[in-house]
Amino acid sequence: MNKGFTVWFTGSSGSGKSAISQLLGKKLKEWGRNVEILDGDVVRTNLCQGLDFRKQDQDIYAQRIAFVCKLLTRNGVAVISVAISPYQESRENARKEIGNFVEVYTKCPTEVCAQRDVEGMHQKALKGEIQDFPGASDPYEEPLKPDLVVETDKETAEESTNKIINKLIELGYLNPKGSVTHVYSSEEEDKIKERLSRLGYI
Amino acid sequence: MVINKKKVFVLGLDSVPPELLFDRWLNQLPNIKRLISQSRYGEMKSTIPAITCPAWMSMMTSADPGRLGIYGFRNRSSYDYDGLSFANSKAVNVDTVWGILSKMGKKVVVIGVPMTYPPQPVNGCMVTCFMTPDTKGEYTYPPELKDEVEAVSNGYMLDVDEFRSDNKESTLKEIYAMTHKRFRLTRHFIRSKEWDFFMMVEMGPDRIHHAFWKYFDQDHPKHVPGSKYQDAILNYYKYLDEEIGETFKLFNDDTMVLIVSDHGAKKMVGGICINEWLLQNGYLKLVHYPAEVTPFNKLIVDWENTMAWGEGGYYGRLFMNVKGREPKGVIAPQHYEHVRNELIKKLEDLRDENGNTIHTKVFKPEDIYSECNGIPPDLIVYYGDLFWRSIGSVGNGTIWADENDTGPDDANHSQYGIFIMQNGSDKEGVRLHGVTLYDIAPTILDYMRVKIPENMEGKVIA
Repeated sequence: MNKGFTVWFTGSSGSGKSAISQLLGKKLKEWGRNVEILDGDVVRTNLCQGLDFRKQDQDIYAQRIAFVCKLLTRNGVAVISVAISPYQESRENARKEIGNFVEVYTKCPTEVCAQRDVEGMHQKALKGEIQDFPGASDPYEEPLKPDLVVETDKETAEESTNKIINKLIELGYLNPKGSVTHVYSSEEEDKIKERLSRLGYI
Repeated sequence: MVINKKKVFVLGLDSVPPELLFDRWLNQLPNIKRLISQSRYGEMKSTIPAITCPAWMSMMTSADPGRLGIYGFRNRSSYDYDGLSFANSKAVNVDTVWGILSKMGKKVVVIGVPMTYPPQPVNGCMVTCFMTPDTKGEYTYPPELKDEVEAVSNGYMLDVDEFRSDNKESTLKEIYAMTHKRFRLTRHFIRSKEWDFFMMVEMGPDRIHHAFWKYFDQDHPKHVPGSKYQDAILNYYKYLDEEIGETFKLFNDDTMVLIVSDHGAKKMVGGICINEWLLQNGYLKLVHYPAEVTPFNKLIVDWENTMAWGEGGYYGRLFMNVKGREPKGVIAPQHYEHVRNELIKKLEDLRDENGNTIHTKVFKPEDIYSECNGIPPDLIVYYGDLFWRSIGSVGNGTIWADENDTGPDDANHSQYGIFIMQNGSDKEGVRLHGVTLYDIAPTILDYMRVKIPENMEGKVIA
């Protein structure tokens, strides 16, 4: 069975989490993985209905998501969690709960996020229609030690996604097609290289 | 209840060209000639690229290399510049014929099929291929089968040790020894194992073509008239014919037998040093041009000023350095197609040393595959329609090489291999046209009355 893992996106609204997560999900499927994307908006209307952006609710939200991620991860699924998750403590708790946890920070200046404002969240927060909105009317705690930072105002979604794929390979969660890092030891790989060189394949 | 006792035996002969077997030497191969006289047979189109890996796996899954995500012996596993990783059995994510049959409870025996290492569980037994590191490790399923394999073959050989060598006597001796051991083991398993599907692949034909082609082919640029090796390949084919005769005596009428090859072979005229060409045309920049011939992965590349680089092999692969994709990419995504088309145009106009066009063919992966999984090369190149091989190393100072950078080699792969299919009901030989290696898997399943997966790309050979 494939090794399960959770890519836990964190970043302000408008920082590009959803766009990258969709692309990442597509690529992971191409890699032959079973993928579940727990997108914040979808989760809010189902698993976390009634919760808002207050800290207490945000913590409950993160706990519930982490619990689902844990179940899926331990069953070999490649899980992608897409939520602002603004608090360091709740992200650390999720890391402990899930185990195979890759924190990806979608870093983007607030003004760029506000300009994008795809869902109109920033506008609503500024008008007072949403209370305690992280990154607008409430602080967003930047990750202290994320596994990866993608700078979405400087990178394309494709580029950010490739960085995540490379990180997953580096961490041993992803075994891309054609890769044999888990099959051949370095000594065996040397033997194969030598043989294929003699045969002219390399 | 009617029990389906139909069996299939597949003999894979790596790299057999129809021109030699059917048209040139058939009258000297009595067992194969007799078989053909009761078979449907003909040339069989290979994958692009026409190379052992992925071709055998495409044949046994009926999925093209793009769907498999396997474009050669080695593939990119990331967009970094770290080179390529070896493909292996765990990279095959599409069901093989033996995998499908195993799940149905049918018994299978698989020997030597490329890309079966590391050995995977089957409902039967498996001996892995020449890409196994050595016979000291685990190369059978179940693991305890290894002792029997070693005993029956008196020391199993995965491949020849010396191949790109001027020691022709040693190479010849090893090829015969390898083939003998594999057929001996095959006949032992035919007799002693329970099986519905049996497949063995012998690499000997490929090895002997590469090592001895120039001796019989008077059109080969390095032809050696009157050499004592001029009949080396023919004699080996005669030997194969004897082994096939001995083996096929063991079957009854319920056994469909197939002889197939993954691709063909043709003379090698020379090599194109693709990275020299890219340097000369301004697509590749090195920090220092090497003082001696140096493999590409040992060079210091100025990636920030490099647009493309190439890999060597029997066919060529070009990779482009794309902004936002490769770490130091320089080609803007919106210019990607323009640069790619420019490369195609220039490569297809490649000339030999005398200024004659060599008819190079260049393929875009998305044009030839149903999908492109993993990381495909940006371009796949058949230099001189495969009469020329691809050379990746740099240092020759010229784009043309008459010596291979990996040792003596007389032959290259060709696009068409062979198939011979005898299913007990064929009373006379019929030469078919238009068969592809994707047709083999559905044909086997159809004969065994097993449902053919809908996404198989081939059709049942009628």
